[in-house]
Amino acid sequence: MSTFNPIEFRGVRKAFRFFTLDDLSLDLEPGQIMGFVGPNGAGKSTTIRLALGLLTPDAGEVRLFGHRMPEAQAVAKRDIGYVSDEMRLFQNATVGWHLRFVASIYPGWDEDYARTLLKRFNLRTEQTVKGLSSGEQMKAVLLLALARRPKLLVLDEPTANFDPVARHEVLGEFTDVLRDESRSILFSSHNTVDVERISDRIAFIDRGRLIDSRDKEDFLERWRRIELQVPAGATLPEIPHVVGRESDGQFATLTINQFTKDTLARLGGAVRRVHRMSLEEIFVANVMHHRETRSS
Amino acid sequence: MNPLTRKLIERELHMHRWMIGASILAGLAGLAFVARGGSINFNVGFLIWLTTIVAFGVVVAMFGIASERKERVMNWVLSLPVAHGDYVRIKVVALLLCFCVVWITLSAAAIGLILAQPGLPDGLLPFAVLLCVFMLGNYSFVVCSALHVHSEGPMTIVIVVHNIAITLFMFAVAAIGDISSHMQGPVAVWNPAFWTVLVVELAVFLLLFTLPFFVAARRRDFI
Repeated sequence: MSTFNPIEFRGVRKAFRFFTLDDLSLDLEPGQIMGFVGPNGAGKSTTIRLALGLLTPDAGEVRLFGHRMPEAQAVAKRDIGYVSDEMRLFQNATVGWHLRFVASIYPGWDEDYARTLLKRFNLRTEQTVKGLSSGEQMKAVLLLALARRPKLLVLDEPTANFDPVARHEVLGEFTDVLRDESRSILFSSHNTVDVERISDRIAFIDRGRLIDSRDKEDFLERWRRIELQVPAGATLPEIPHVVGRESDGQFATLTINQFTKDTLARLGGAVRRVHRMSLEEIFVANVMHHRETRSS
Repeated sequence: MNPLTRKLIERELHMHRWMIGASILAGLAGLAFVARGGSINFNVGFLIWLTTIVAFGVVVAMFGIASERKERVMNWVLSLPVAHGDYVRIKVVALLLCFCVVWITLSAAAIGLILAQPGLPDGLLPFAVLLCVFMLGNYSFVVCSALHVHSEGPMTIVIVVHNIAITLFMFAVAAIGDISSHMQGPVAVWNPAFWTVLVVELAVFLLLFTLPFFVAARRRDFI
């Protein structure tokens, strides 16, 4: 079995005229589902294109399963299923033609699984691609990626064109794929609900920089929003790791990114309520904090 | 050639099979007009034959490269185990094969017609050969441009230049006395003027055919 990580970025830089992805270091380990979250234009697709060898880094190194990219992309891509919302199949060909075409390329093609997915996604082999809705086309693309049983699935905003029901179906399939613990997924999205549902590791990216990357549970445990009531004239003790502070008269809300029991002990009786934060709230607070830090 | 390369080339031929068939039929229909004799039939038939080859070249190049990129099908193809350099090479070879099926058939039919038809002077043969080879080079120009140009505006200019080039070529060759003076003659004259133009045409074709291998295939960023 390969000892290489499915994805390794080391100090990667890629500059465009109006955007630079800078000093990106990232690891996706075997069996891991990494949610790659960032606002529009943050650099998610650029990162994925670098990973797949479609772009060449200006500096640093990108490796997939130990293969240096983009030089070894043809070899590396044998083990990868890549799905992007900016991807379409041959419009005049049928779904069945695509199934036969991909099956003839990949020795690991799982015909039974392909049939199951066809049924589950309500697709028919005789349908031409141009007759499918955009959501159905994306399902067909996903089917073609999933049924080849790749070691690594790279998904770039795969649920962007889906209605809520389709999104539920598709996310369920990703979870099924990950029952095989040797498979990995890099899942890029700005929809934190989808990411929170399937990922076990999260990386936040904003304006071309990786701002945080850790286990999902770690994020959810470390971040808290604390409501306080501070009597007039009283001052709050110095609290470390406060990334956001809102005040309204004697009421205040602190956002903390390294919450511990010690935090509550320091605040004492001023604490009225402690909120766990959703991934979306953590993401927004994280991004805003980093933007403020960088601009100052 | 690895199996995936072969399959992608076969796919290109498969995708364009109806257009290839229709173009051959249209070109042959044009030559059938020519075979009926008379200057009107000659002009109409020649125009149909010429337009068929020229239009087929543009349509195949646009469908095979520009539309594939615009409709984002290329993104899916590049998700397969193929490097972008291979993608460029596959496109050049596959689209040349598609064109050659039509081009060889219709060029051979035209030359055969000149040889077989008593009403058509054999002196036309050098001009016909030069015109056919020019169309091959002109097609390579469109394919080469489509692989290097990514926006619609410049590509439109490429198509206009491609279409005008045929007319300019015919005017230019007609202006070469050593070629035009023998066109109505009973025998084909393969003189140095003919060979010079042919060598230039082949050199241009080779340059345009191989340029994508050295430029587009080596591009650092493909999408």
